[in-house]
Amino acid sequence: MEWKHKNLIDLDCWEKEEILHLIDQAGNMEDLLNRPIKKVPALRGKLIVNLFFEPSTRTRVSFELAEKMLSADVVNWSASGSSTAKGETLRDTAWTLESMGADAIVVRHGAVGAASYLQRKLKHAAVFNAGDGAHAHPTQALLDIYTASKHYSSLEGLKIAIVGDIVHSRVARSNMIGFKTMGCDVVVSGPKTLMPPELDYYGVRYFKDPREAVKGANIVYLLRIQRERQEQGLFPSLDEYFKLFGADEELISLAEKDALIMHPGPINRRVEIDSLVADGPQSVILEQVRSGVAVRMALLYLCLGGAR
Amino acid sequence: MESILLTNCKVYDGKELLDGEKHILIEDGKIAKIAAEKLSVSENLKIYNLKGLIVCPGFIDIHAHLRDPGQEWREDILSGARAAARGGYTTIVAMPNTDPPVDNPFLVRYVIEKGRSSGGARVLPAGTVSKNREGSVMAEMGKMVEEGAVFFTDDGSPVKNSSLLQKALLYSSHLDVRIMEHPEDNELSKGGQVNYGWCSSISGLKGNPPSSEVVDIKKCVALAKETGGAIHFTHVSTKEGIEEIKRAKSEGLPITCDVTPHHLTLDETMVVKSGFDATYKVNPPLRNKEDVEALWQAIADGVVDAIATDHAPYHMDEKDLPFQEAAFGIASLECAIAAVLNEWSSRGKICPLERLLSLWTSSPAGLLPRQWSDLGVIKEGAPADLTVLDLDKNKQVKVEEWASKARLTPWEDASLKGWPVMTFLEGKVLFCDTDRRC
Repeated sequence: MEWKHKNLIDLDCWEKEEILHLIDQAGNMEDLLNRPIKKVPALRGKLIVNLFFEPSTRTRVSFELAEKMLSADVVNWSASGSSTAKGETLRDTAWTLESMGADAIVVRHGAVGAASYLQRKLKHAAVFNAGDGAHAHPTQALLDIYTASKHYSSLEGLKIAIVGDIVHSRVARSNMIGFKTMGCDVVVSGPKTLMPPELDYYGVRYFKDPREAVKGANIVYLLRIQRERQEQGLFPSLDEYFKLFGADEELISLAEKDALIMHPGPINRRVEIDSLVADGPQSVILEQVRSGVAVRMALLYLCLGGAR
Repeated sequence: MESILLTNCKVYDGKELLDGEKHILIEDGKIAKIAAEKLSVSENLKIYNLKGLIVCPGFIDIHAHLRDPGQEWREDILSGARAAARGGYTTIVAMPNTDPPVDNPFLVRYVIEKGRSSGGARVLPAGTVSKNREGSVMAEMGKMVEEGAVFFTDDGSPVKNSSLLQKALLYSSHLDVRIMEHPEDNELSKGGQVNYGWCSSISGLKGNPPSSEVVDIKKCVALAKETGGAIHFTHVSTKEGIEEIKRAKSEGLPITCDVTPHHLTLDETMVVKSGFDATYKVNPPLRNKEDVEALWQAIADGVVDAIATDHAPYHMDEKDLPFQEAAFGIASLECAIAAVLNEWSSRGKICPLERLLSLWTSSPAGLLPRQWSDLGVIKEGAPADLTVLDLDKNKQVKVEEWASKARLTPWEDASLKGWPVMTFLEGKVLFCDTDRRC
């Protein structure tokens, strides 16, 4: 297929066929990763800057690995100890990097809209959103869809229950869009204080009882509960959260027999997920992490490399 | 002073569109004559043939942030007053949330004097309700009135202390100056960046809920009822807020309100569609389409007393940022009237033109202290503050041409129909964007 995307800000402008094509490519990339010599020259001579304003381990490392496997030149730029600490704006930083010849910028930023802002400001360089505030984290959604696709021949009609802090979660937003695009029945659950007021846009149903949401689900997706949400008074205690919404074996038993347990990490044991579930046979949490490199390779290859 | 003759014009006199074409003679800064027949012309007269155009009382904007003193990199009284004149206004009310705030008679005087020498619109100051706009101690309202303050407001925020607001309403009852409330409950809106609901759900930005506006309006209505003091609610943005005001008005309470051009013409979807362009970031936030509809309906129903810009200019460096980091505020003085006229047409002229024009003229004039009541009318003997409208003119908004220091506006490049083409302040031409001079 002809690949039309140069950037990735969010999945809301991607068609199902495009996601399927990327997943296909990611499969090829994963085969490549299993070879003794992993590197391919697809992006040789391309300069990619990883611009991370927020701490990140898995996303940053996985982007970096993907870039290196494709033979791109990689520069890592973190906010601390850089010109940002001297008061440089995002725009000036980006323009500086573009002037140095960056072909693509992978950006993680705490402000909603940071990635689309960069896309508007940059003249040539492609922009890949590695997370902008609570808005979007599209590569996480892609790698989640890829991981699920390895276990199901088609995602069409599958039920996925996302449980936890939806309102503050960029992972949830991109996944609601992504899994809906794939034809899934997406349901969410969690305390009402952690839910966005409107879910119609996503075509997603809300259940106040997580047991209702999880019942018959093929995928149960748990979200990280940040401790500060409790401090903000959005729920009374972490212990109460676990009691009412935490994924223990009892809750998971309501899902389909072989339902996948997913989590974007890092996990809070005994807050949103019990260790028996996180480490249990249905958990694909570490598989998600492994998928990240292949999916990001496919993305960079399609948007920057040979396919264009 | 040079005399001016305006010929063949339609006239909106503050009440109605007069039948037929009129000829208006301006002498010594005043309207000397309004005639149906051609006036015999002496020499030394500037003549403008305004056929097809509407001459109105000079437009009044009761809510503009001129950022002076203290934040002159954003705007100052000169640039703001000139921007206003170019935008079709002859009188604007400068908000007092400056640095320091206009909370004393000396600063009231400063704003007036600087406005006088601006060569732009007349600048009337609003003073704060509380000293330093902190919501704890009452400002010297009486002294500020003597120097010319026309409103009291802690705008930028609500009056933070209900008890102080109650006392201010009682204390100011003899001053003939209204208290203007920025209706917001700061606890409910805390951290809010966009409208609560669809926009906050999709964006992941914290929502500012309509309840924040409604709760404060309800509280203030209760205080107005109890004290008998008049309260003007500015930049009302929600359907529910309008409903509260409508109810209070029907009870005969001394409640008035204004709405802004941006809340009448833009909605929350634009925040998302633009990819979170911070030019759409404003407080109160752009609401949903139903709210926009309700504001227009309120205009049609006579619930709204003024259209006021809430012109809130910022420097590029404070505004050209990722949405979540940018300042709140929309700059609009130089295209606000066009934006509203354009929307009014495209909504099928939801109310009579006279109603709309009254919200820029006689109606806001009635909210000012009595000494300014002549501002909203065209009559012989009144000061020749005039705004000339060309309802058919199409023009593209180009912010680089503005006199305002703002360099970002949501209407950039928009092609709008219906523009002010001339403004006169006390008989002097402040702005002329037409070749009708004979």
